[in-house]
Amino acid sequence: MRALWTMVGNDFRQRLRDKSVLIFSLIVPLALMGVLSLAFGRLGTGSVDLQPATVVASVEDSGPLGAALLDSLGSIEAMKVTVREVPADAVSSETRTTGAALGIVIPAGFSSALATGQPSTLQLIEGSGSVLETSVLISIVTGIVDQFTAASVTEAAAKLGGVPPDAAAGIGRIAVVGEPILHITEGTVPAGQLSLRAGLVAGQTGLFLLFTVGFGVLGLLAEKEQGTLGRIRSTAVPQWTIVAAKAAVGFSLGVAASAVLLASGTLLFGVNFGSPSVVGLLVLGAAAAATSLTFIVAKVVRTAEQANVAQSIVAMVLGIAGGAFFPIQASGFMAVLMDLNPVGAFIRGLGISAGGGGIAEIAMPLITMWGFAVVCVLVSRFLPDRGARS
Amino acid sequence: MSADRLVKRFGELTAVDDVSFAIRPGETYGLLGPNGAGKTTIINMVAGLIPADSGSVDVAGIRMDPAGIAVKRHLGLVPQELAIYPDLTARENLNFFGRLQGLGRKELSSRVNAVLELLGLAERAGEQTKKYSGGMKRRLNIGIGLLHRPGLLILDEPTVGVDPQSRNSILEAVGDLSAGGTAVLYTTHYMEEAERLCDRIAILDQGQIQAEGTRDELITLTGGVDRISLVGAGRSAAAAEALRSLDGVHRVTDSGGTELILTVTDGAALLAGIVSTAVRSGMTLASVSVTRPDLESVFLHLTGKALRD
Ligand SMILES: Nc1ncnc2c1ncn2[C@@H]1O[C@H](COP(=O)(O)OP(=O)(O)O)[C@@H](O)[C@H]1O
Ligand SMILES: [Mg+2]
Repeated sequence: MRALWTMVGNDFRQRLRDKSVLIFSLIVPLALMGVLSLAFGRLGTGSVDLQPATVVASVEDSGPLGAALLDSLGSIEAMKVTVREVPADAVSSETRTTGAALGIVIPAGFSSALATGQPSTLQLIEGSGSVLETSVLISIVTGIVDQFTAASVTEAAAKLGGVPPDAAAGIGRIAVVGEPILHITEGTVPAGQLSLRAGLVAGQTGLFLLFTVGFGVLGLLAEKEQGTLGRIRSTAVPQWTIVAAKAAVGFSLGVAASAVLLASGTLLFGVNFGSPSVVGLLVLGAAAAATSLTFIVAKVVRTAEQANVAQSIVAMVLGIAGGAFFPIQASGFMAVLMDLNPVGAFIRGLGISAGGGGIAEIAMPLITMWGFAVVCVLVSRFLPDRGARS
Repeated sequence: MSADRLVKRFGELTAVDDVSFAIRPGETYGLLGPNGAGKTTIINMVAGLIPADSGSVDVAGIRMDPAGIAVKRHLGLVPQELAIYPDLTARENLNFFGRLQGLGRKELSSRVNAVLELLGLAERAGEQTKKYSGGMKRRLNIGIGLLHRPGLLILDEPTVGVDPQSRNSILEAVGDLSAGGTAVLYTTHYMEEAERLCDRIAILDQGQIQAEGTRDELITLTGGVDRISLVGAGRSAAAAEALRSLDGVHRVTDSGGTELILTVTDGAALLAGIVSTAVRSGMTLASVSVTRPDLESVFLHLTGKALRD
C-alpha cells in the first residue's frame, strides 16, 4: 500500500510540476468552451433569434411543387428568407461566394416524381455563412418535402378510394398549403436535454476527460522509455501496484479536472447541472470508463508518442460521436453503438441531472459508463502486450 | 548469489547460452565482454526483469522470480541506460526509489544525505536532474542503486560516457559498498575497470562464458604471451602471412588492413625479427608497440577478436 501511495504521489508531483495537466486538462478545454460558446452564443440564452438569410435556388421543375417549395421558404414567419433564382450550374458557386445560407437545385420532374411516388433528388448546398440559419433552413426544406410526400400519398390514397382525379389533387394540395408548414417557436429546453451552452460545457468536459486520464496508465510507456519502469520493477514492489498506481493517477486527475471544468462552466457560463452529488456520480462513472480505455490503448501501442496519438484519436472519435461539439442523431445499429458511448452517456446523464433528475434517473447512464469500464478492463486483459519488448 | 545454467533466446538468437556463476558477499564479480555479448540480458534475468528460458537465479538463498518481492529486497540495480526522473530533483529521485525499497523515514533521509555526499551531488541535490551534466546523471543513476545498501548490487556498464572525475567517484562508491560486504555484479567492456575493480572476472562472448577467474588466473590462460601491434600501410595481408610462419608467433590478427595484432611468446626478444619480416613483406610501419598480457590479450586469445570494435 505504501508503495502504491509513493508511486501515486510521485506522479502527481511530476504532472503538477511540468504543468501539462494544467494546460491540457483545464486551460485548453476552458478556452474551447469560451470560443465555442461565443460561436454559438446566440443560442445560449435559450431564445432563438434567427437572422435574415438568402437562399440561392434553381428550379428545373415544370410542375407546381418546385415553385411551392420556394414560396414556402419565403413565407417563414420566424425568419426572413430571400429567395434568389439562378441557373442550375451557378447555384453552387453563388451559394459559396455570396454568403447565402443555402443553395437548392430542384431537378426537372420533381413534381411528377413526388406525385407518382418516384425517387427524386433535391440537391442542397450548405452556405458558408451562419451555421445556425443554414441548419434551420435545411430542416425546413426537409420538413416541406416530407409534407409534399405525405400529400402525394394522400392524393394516391384518395384516388384509390374512388375520389375523381381532380378532386384528389385538390385534397393533396390542401394537405400541402392548408397546413402551416413549420412552426418555429422559441423553444424551452425539454427535460432531459441540455441547453446548447450547458451541452457545450458537458461535452467538452467529457471530451477532455479522455485526454486527462491519459496522464495515468499511458504514463507507463513514458516510464518505460525513461528506464524508470525497469528500475521500479527491480524493487520490492508488487507488480500489480505499478499499474494500479497509474490507473489511480489517471482516474483522480480525470475526476478533479472534470469537477473543476463543470464548476467553472457553472460559474463562467451560467449553466446549472443540478444536484452536485448526482453530478459527482456521473463524473466518477465517466472517469472510470475513460481510465479503463487507457488500459487498452496502453496494450496496443509501443511508444509514448503512439500512445498520445492513439488516445487523441479515441478521444476525438468518442467525443464527437458522444455529442461533445453538437448533438448527433443516428438510427439502427449506429444508435445502439452511440448509446454505449461513455461520453454520450455522461452528457445524457448531465442532461437528466440538469432537469432535476436524481440518482434513480441517472441509472442508465451510470450503468453504461461502468459497463464500458468493465468491458474495457476485461478486453485489455486478453490483448497481447505489443509494447512489452523493450 | 548464484546463477545456474541461464539461457535466454530472442527468436533465432541465443543471447545467453548456458551461463552459470556465483558471487560471494563482499566479492566483486565482473562480466567482461563486447557490445552484444549478452551482459545486459544476463543482468535482466538476475534482476528479475525478464524471465529466463531456462536456468535459475538465487539471491540470499531465495529463488529469483519476476514477481518475487522478498528476493528483490536484497537487490540494487543500476541499469545501463539512465533511469531517473528528469523533472524531479536528485533528492526527490532518491527519496522515491528509497521508499519503494522499503526504507523508513529516518533511515531514508540519512541514507539519501550520505549517498548525495558520496557521489558529490549534495550541493545541487535540489535541482531538477534534467539540468545535470551527463556525469552527474550517471552518478545519481548509481546512487539510487546503492541507496538501500543491497546485499547484491548489479551495475550494467555504469561508467559508459562518463568524465574521468565521475568515473572515479563511481568506482570508489562501488568499492566502499563492496568493502561493507555487498556482493557486486559488474558488467563492462572496459578492461581497465574490470582489472581495477573485480575480484573475479568472467569473459563473455556470444552469450557464453569463455573463461572465468581472477585477473592473474585469466592471464595465465594465454600462456603468458605478449601482444605486439604493428600499425602501418601496404601489403598487410602478405606481412601477416609471413609473420605467421615465424617461431614464437602464436596468432596474427589482421584487423582491417592498417593494424596487425600478434600474440607471441617473449615479445621483447622477437621484436626485431618481427619488424624486419613485416618490412620485407612490403609493409611501411607507422608504429610498433609491445603489450604485456592483460585482459584484452586474454580476450583476443580466447576469441580471436579485439574486445573493442
Ligand atoms: N529484447 C530483445 N529482443 C531481441 N534481441 C535482443 C533483445 N535484447 C537483446 N537482444 C540481443 O541479444 C544480444 C545480447 O544483447 P545484450 O544483452 O544487450 O548485450 P550487451 O549488454 O552485452 O551489450 C544482442 O545481439 C542483442 O541484439
Ligand atoms: Mg548492455
